[in-house]
Amino acid sequence: MAERDEEATEQPLSAPADGVAARSADDQADAASAPQPVLEMRGISKRFGEIQALDDVSLDLQPGEIHALLGENGAGKSTLIKVMTGVVQPDVGDIRIDGQPVHIGSAFDAQTYAVAAIYQEPMVFPDLTVAENIFIGHRDRGLIVNRRKMREEAQAVLARLGVQFDVMQQARGITLAQQQTVEIAKALSLDVRVLIMDEPTASLSAHEVGQLFGIVSRLRSQGVAILFISHRLEEVFLVADRITVMRDGRWISTTPRPELTPGAAIRQMVGREITEFFARSPSTPGDVLLEVRELGREGAFTGVSFDLREGEVLGFAGLVGARRTDVGLALFGIAPADSGEIRLEGEAVRIRDPQEALRLGIAYATEDRRGLGLIFSQSIASNITLPSLGKYLSRIGITQRAAERVIAETFRERLSIRAPSVDTPALALSGGNQQKVVLAKWLATTPKVLILDEPTRGIDVGSKVEVHRLIDELVAQGIGIIMISSDLPELLPMSDRILVMREGRQMAILDAKEATQESVLSMAMGQVETTT
Amino acid sequence: MRSALFRHVRPEQVREITLLIIIVLLLLFFATQIPNFLSGRTFTRVTTAIPVTVVLGVGLTLVVLTRNIDLSIGATVAVVSYGVGTLLANDPSMSPVIVIALSVAIGVGLGAINGVIVAYGGVPAIVATLGTMALFRSVLVTITDSRPVTTARLPDWIVDLNGIRLISLEDLDVRILPVIALAVVIVFQLLLRYASYGRRLFAIGSNPDAAHVAGLPMKRDVFVAFVLCGALAGLGGFMYMARFGNIDTQSAVGLELVVVAAVVVGGVNIFGGSGSMIGVMLGAILIVLVDQGLIRWAAISEFLRDALLGLLILLAVASDTVILERLRLIWARARRAEEESSREPAATAGGEQP
Amino acid sequence: MMAKLGPYLRRWETFLLALLVGVMATNALAAPGYLGLQNQSNLLELSLERAIVALAMAFVIISAEIDLSVASVMGLSAVIMGVLWQAGLPIELAVIVAIISGAACGLFNGFWVAVVGLPSLAVTLAGLIGFRGLAYFLVEGEFITGLPDHFKALAQQDLVGPIPASVFLYAIFIVIAVVLLHATGFGRYVYAVGNSKAAATYSGVRVVRVKLAVFTMSGIVAAIGGLIIASRFGAVRGGTAEGFELEIITMVLLGGVSIFGGSGTMIGVILATLLVLNLRNGMDLATISGNTQLGVVGLLLIFSVLLPNLGSRFRGRYRARQARSAQAAVSNLE
Repeated sequence: MAERDEEATEQPLSAPADGVAARSADDQADAASAPQPVLEMRGISKRFGEIQALDDVSLDLQPGEIHALLGENGAGKSTLIKVMTGVVQPDVGDIRIDGQPVHIGSAFDAQTYAVAAIYQEPMVFPDLTVAENIFIGHRDRGLIVNRRKMREEAQAVLARLGVQFDVMQQARGITLAQQQTVEIAKALSLDVRVLIMDEPTASLSAHEVGQLFGIVSRLRSQGVAILFISHRLEEVFLVADRITVMRDGRWISTTPRPELTPGAAIRQMVGREITEFFARSPSTPGDVLLEVRELGREGAFTGVSFDLREGEVLGFAGLVGARRTDVGLALFGIAPADSGEIRLEGEAVRIRDPQEALRLGIAYATEDRRGLGLIFSQSIASNITLPSLGKYLSRIGITQRAAERVIAETFRERLSIRAPSVDTPALALSGGNQQKVVLAKWLATTPKVLILDEPTRGIDVGSKVEVHRLIDELVAQGIGIIMISSDLPELLPMSDRILVMREGRQMAILDAKEATQESVLSMAMGQVETTT
Repeated sequence: MRSALFRHVRPEQVREITLLIIIVLLLLFFATQIPNFLSGRTFTRVTTAIPVTVVLGVGLTLVVLTRNIDLSIGATVAVVSYGVGTLLANDPSMSPVIVIALSVAIGVGLGAINGVIVAYGGVPAIVATLGTMALFRSVLVTITDSRPVTTARLPDWIVDLNGIRLISLEDLDVRILPVIALAVVIVFQLLLRYASYGRRLFAIGSNPDAAHVAGLPMKRDVFVAFVLCGALAGLGGFMYMARFGNIDTQSAVGLELVVVAAVVVGGVNIFGGSGSMIGVMLGAILIVLVDQGLIRWAAISEFLRDALLGLLILLAVASDTVILERLRLIWARARRAEEESSREPAATAGGEQP
Repeated sequence: MMAKLGPYLRRWETFLLALLVGVMATNALAAPGYLGLQNQSNLLELSLERAIVALAMAFVIISAEIDLSVASVMGLSAVIMGVLWQAGLPIELAVIVAIISGAACGLFNGFWVAVVGLPSLAVTLAGLIGFRGLAYFLVEGEFITGLPDHFKALAQQDLVGPIPASVFLYAIFIVIAVVLLHATGFGRYVYAVGNSKAAATYSGVRVVRVKLAVFTMSGIVAAIGGLIIASRFGAVRGGTAEGFELEIITMVLLGGVSIFGGSGTMIGVILATLLVLNLRNGMDLATISGNTQLGVVGLLLIFSVLLPNLGSRFRGRYRARQARSAQAAVSNLE
């Protein structure tokens, strides 16, 4: 506690160091032409366990500008947003509003400082009307709601955004795009000065995106500072005034739009040092294990076709909204496909539920370790045996603890899960070790096909290397692996072939040896002509 | 025609209209089966039977809207009716105003205990109120001599209160207690619809995460909901005393279940976020009507009434989840289609590029 | 055995045990013979059906659902048994049909919860009122008395020493419940489902089946509980076991089972049951009324959740204050 205080007290004195010093010089140069930034973040660092999520990041937002933030998944964008909205407190660094240092300790503080954020999934109240949604956060509207006045004001706010729809209908009934508009209107009605938009376009149609940009440009002309996060490069280059690139939790560059090309931006995003050494032992894939033809699920993905061989790693590359996870879920039967066919070892199969998939020898390790991967209050051993529990039951259904412990101990050793014993509850483990338990529980089902969804996201480097070594071993045993990963420097060397997806469509299957980070990312972003 | 319907009727009103239709159909059905069913006496009976349930239901709805529940309302009624009844029996000269104020004040106090434990103590409402339900009644037994309150010991004005008729047409009476209950329904329906506090209750139950992000004073609002629920339970306790007169410490046992039933049948979502006071009142009327009908209908044993009530609750919840959800979707689609066709020019104007 | 149970006993269960020992010691000092087999067997005997149904209720609540209808199922099953016996069926057959009808009630609840997806609070509230209604309907407010002696013997006649067969039945149920929850695959699935339905689904657990099984089990055990009451009183009526659901749920929650599911142990539930029974028996000896006894139990229930919450809250607030003062120090320096 005392240590933290000291750090915080010293902070303003020690802040102007290294890169920050260089940047503040820039800022001073800007100051002549640009007005004072509305919001300014200096030297923000944040650590979660072993992960350095943000490392000395600085960013400023000018009134009336659209500032785009680019970076791969895990570059630290969402943590930065959480710092601005008071959800996460930085370990080091300070935030200034109009040049004054402020403490944003909660969502309410953020609202006080006129900072608002809207997300891919809007946070509306489905049971309230549109107008009520807009004004619910207002404290100064008195005890009694004047419904007519509220309706008129809601219509006026929407008019400022250049849209209109029935504000007296329940928010449950409106489209996602309209819900986002409502959130923007909510922010606007509170005289927001900084609006953060986190992937607002990911679930919108082209027409809706056009409308959203109309709204955004109106807000800009009204002097709002907008931080715009999107994976769609064409959108970023269409609307942004300045573009900041982040990578591995660090600030890389901030450039006015005219001085940056999409190709250059992609290079900055992927130009990361490969600090970890990935290498696969040479191996030759065997017979075709899984054949997937024109697989699709209404509203998620269409036309996915590939073969997976024994002892092969097929990488799935793509960005947020590429729907790679949905393909995994279809193969595992959680959200079954509704078109196309699947053949396993030459036999046509229908996978309707996870039990069917497990019976066929298909396992899926989820990307959402926290929400879906583990039963947190349960021990490592019972987590590892949960999907294959049938194997450890006596005829009358009693768990054979001895056999269970043997298998759990085997995996603890094989995956070097660091825990006092296999009886330790899963919630007591670090992220990396939890991930190893997730992998162990699927390996215990002795799968033929193993789908790994973001197997190394959010885990420390040591664990990453161990996961990679494990994949290498599994391949040598003839298991076919589908590896979904947003970490291209990892995916390229680990895969034999790479399937690139973009917005629910399969773009290409590339030989991993010939693919480059730029070529894959360009395809995933729909920027086929860039990067030479 | 279709679009007019969509404009004037909202999905949440479908429940109230359906209840109304069911009530009318049931009335007509019983009228064909029971001689003289459609009479002033039936009206009088139904309206005398519901006031306590309705007043408690209104209070409980405030709590249920926020995704909580209050199982202690039956015990609160017992504490108030027995406690105040005892005081009144000992000192019959107490003024009616003080008696009512005292009833409500005791309710407020007990509601505040629940509110503190749930909103500020973070104890799940079902656990907290299960506990206070036992606690309130036991305190009542401990601090009193458990001597029953009887009409003979109560002053005349309270015994007569239940019989006061505001309007009397032959055998159709409009008595005072149902009028008070109706006033409570109207006041709180207006609160839900027009007060910002009422709208916040919907917001909290509708999406607690969003309510948190929007910076709503959730704890305070939930606390106040429990206090109001307690206050109405206090008023209900007074009405209970006026209606029954003979009260012991075991009065109103299980009353909370009847009230929860009325609330659920009245279309209040048990997981919060939707419901109306009118619906609760209609729910209570429907339950009492089934009761009254079965008592007088020769074809079916009156003992079947609780079995039917169970079925009614199940149907109400199932229709809410299964049918109403679907209806909402159809509604939304229709509205959207309508909007899109009428609003093309505006849409293109909004889509202008810088 | 103790070594395996060790980790479970470390927390809430230890506290319950200490409380239980304290209550028993106080009672023993006040009333000689309190700890005797006779008295202990008696106090158990009088609440046996609730103790048994609490064991099944623990499964329901651990799977993150609730069953408010148990007491009504107890009443309905007892009534069905009585009516069939009165109609001339042999008592053994009547008992079997009663247990099957309990299973049917549980399955009915389970169907609406697990398959249709309705909230169990509402579904079993309907069951609470509806099944009770059926019980009243079947006997129309009458008593059915004069059940055969060998049926009454189950709860009334001492089997070994002062202990009647029904107490042995409880012992058998305890063993089954502990084994089922803590040593079988089914128990594992119940915890998994209660912890997170989604995570269980993603682990290949058949969530719907687990929930159906849990509710059906609750119905069967409730029926058995109802039959035990019938045996003890030698009579049934529509109101048999009325209002018991709250006491049963209280025992389970007091035993450390979270209302949100996924945690709690059978040992905790058993300790809480014994604690409640001993506490009430002790207060009986001290001539404290039954209502006050319920109040003490209610208070215990609230504090079992409130105290841990308050502890973590004050720690949290202290931290927030520290952070704010640090922030203030920063601004002063500017």
